[in-house]
Amino acid sequence: MTYLFQILNGIGLGMLYFLLAVGLSVIFGLLQFVNFAHGAFYLLGAYFTYDLVERGVSFWVAMPVAAVLVTLIAAATEIVLLRRIYKLPHTFHILVTVGLALMIQELAIIAWGPLGGNVPAPEAFNGVIIIGNFVYPEYRLFVIVFTAILAGALWWVLEGTRVGAVVRAGSESAENTALLGYNTLRINSAVFGLGAGLAGLAGALAAPIRGVEPFMGLEALGIAFIVVVIGGMGSYTGALLAGILVGVTQSVMASLWPEGARLMIYLGMALVIVTMPRGLLGRA
Amino acid sequence: MINNPVFHFVLAVITVLCLPLFLRSGVLASEILIYGLAVAACNLLLGFTGLLSFGQGIFFGVGSYVAGILLTRYQIPVPEMLLVSLVLGAVIAIGVGWLSIRRQGVYFVMLTLAFSQFFFFLAYTFSGLTGGDNGILDVPRPVIAGFDFTDLWNYYYFVAAVFLLVFALMLRTTQSTFGHTLRAIRENEARASAIGFPVKAFKIAAFAISGAVTALAGALHAMLIGVAPLSNIEYHSSEIILIMTIIGGSGNLFASLLGAGSYLVLADVLSAIWPRWLLLLGLALIVVALFMQRGLWGLIESLVSSLGSLFRRAPAPAAESSAQGQTDGGKA
Repeated sequence: MTYLFQILNGIGLGMLYFLLAVGLSVIFGLLQFVNFAHGAFYLLGAYFTYDLVERGVSFWVAMPVAAVLVTLIAAATEIVLLRRIYKLPHTFHILVTVGLALMIQELAIIAWGPLGGNVPAPEAFNGVIIIGNFVYPEYRLFVIVFTAILAGALWWVLEGTRVGAVVRAGSESAENTALLGYNTLRINSAVFGLGAGLAGLAGALAAPIRGVEPFMGLEALGIAFIVVVIGGMGSYTGALLAGILVGVTQSVMASLWPEGARLMIYLGMALVIVTMPRGLLGRA
Repeated sequence: MINNPVFHFVLAVITVLCLPLFLRSGVLASEILIYGLAVAACNLLLGFTGLLSFGQGIFFGVGSYVAGILLTRYQIPVPEMLLVSLVLGAVIAIGVGWLSIRRQGVYFVMLTLAFSQFFFFLAYTFSGLTGGDNGILDVPRPVIAGFDFTDLWNYYYFVAAVFLLVFALMLRTTQSTFGHTLRAIRENEARASAIGFPVKAFKIAAFAISGAVTALAGALHAMLIGVAPLSNIEYHSSEIILIMTIIGGSGNLFASLLGAGSYLVLADVLSAIWPRWLLLLGLALIVVALFMQRGLWGLIESLVSSLGSLFRRAPAPAAESSAQGQTDGGKA
């Protein structure tokens, strides 16, 4: 029973990790671009939610508004800055996005102070569910259900619609997609914006669970990288599987050996890399 | 002449002699040389072998812990301790390198980043050995051969001697057949492999040298600040070393000292004026990536060549100058 509880908790955590990482993965698949600023968009999503809720706006409005704002900011960044550097070597992708992440982090400290804060869970879900001896917060259950629906919708968009087909075609060959008459520049901006927007949404959803603080972006970036490496870069299902795997591992380990929970995740990742260098579901 | 390694060594000696004249703080001066070593070691991988390692903080942190543990708990003399840091740095770098070079490009970068996180949590988890969050406190700077290293400037000259020795050896390495082979791998790995070079062994050897030198720098750093902090093995440590490397320029080893020096001096000045100076650093990184891709050294090279052509009063050969920079892109 204890384990069932930990696994449920882990799935909740894992769905958030999936939401955080899937954007990074799809952006990489399409643009061959490693985005070290991905965690910073998660940070922005969380802080926008925090700010709006502090001003008395309902969480149900604040969450989607935060995600949309992050999407717009990310798309604008792509148009103004990032599309100029795709053709440069990876070194400069990293340099620019590390610089971007630093700027966002420092701006967040300037705007909201260095200490961070808490976001109360929305009223409809601020209770707990009691199963036997175990107490589970309703809000976490909401996060599991909500992200599961979102993951399904996302899968349908990527696999079942024309838009998704174009995005997947773009990851196979940007040149051929452009030759078919698709405006790849616009697709790139949209995918980058939406991928970052999903990270922002993950931040918004995580805010009532873990609060906000200026360095949460860095931690999120680490998690997103693990999930993408374990799942396989550019793979949607890989990100889902790896997200849940990482979440459950972390949650179960937290009850067995709390200090070593993070260590086990990175050890697990090292094992995956050594045995399956492309990740669990990565393509060749 | 500007790309002659002997000239680079002379520049390094001049830098070592001039730092005490311009800097009031012995800590900052020593830090510049210590990071200069770590950055040169990173450059050996990035500039010479074409490997962008996000794991240099691992070796830096390991070096710090070697200094912390051996000096505070076992009273081992400094030279032996530094030797241990070199060896342990090399051994860990061989392990990390061996696993990381299985993948290339971005995947390689992410692997090194993953290992850097792994070692961070290793240090964090086994706090009995490393002091966890607090680090190892009271790392001494003992008296060696009659020199009292509690005086910071005395310690600076010790660091300077170690720096010049290691820097000279690294310059020698880059000029050797080994160094040229590394550059061949950077330029065209498939071809280097086809000629018959065991590319993987060369990459791992480059990692070993880089890890050893970085760990040495980490040990010197722990002695300098009197602590072996957890932050030396953190993601930020890797990030800063990499940023200094790219800012300096990845073409030669003196550029690394230039990168370390300008970063640390600017950080020292700016952080005193404005606590949010990292905002400016972030902006600077973007500017470097967009307009100064060959780093500070590249900037100096362009200046020297345009000064040179000014004195020669003849236009520089078009082919050469268009390969060098964007300035006369209009002509092409």
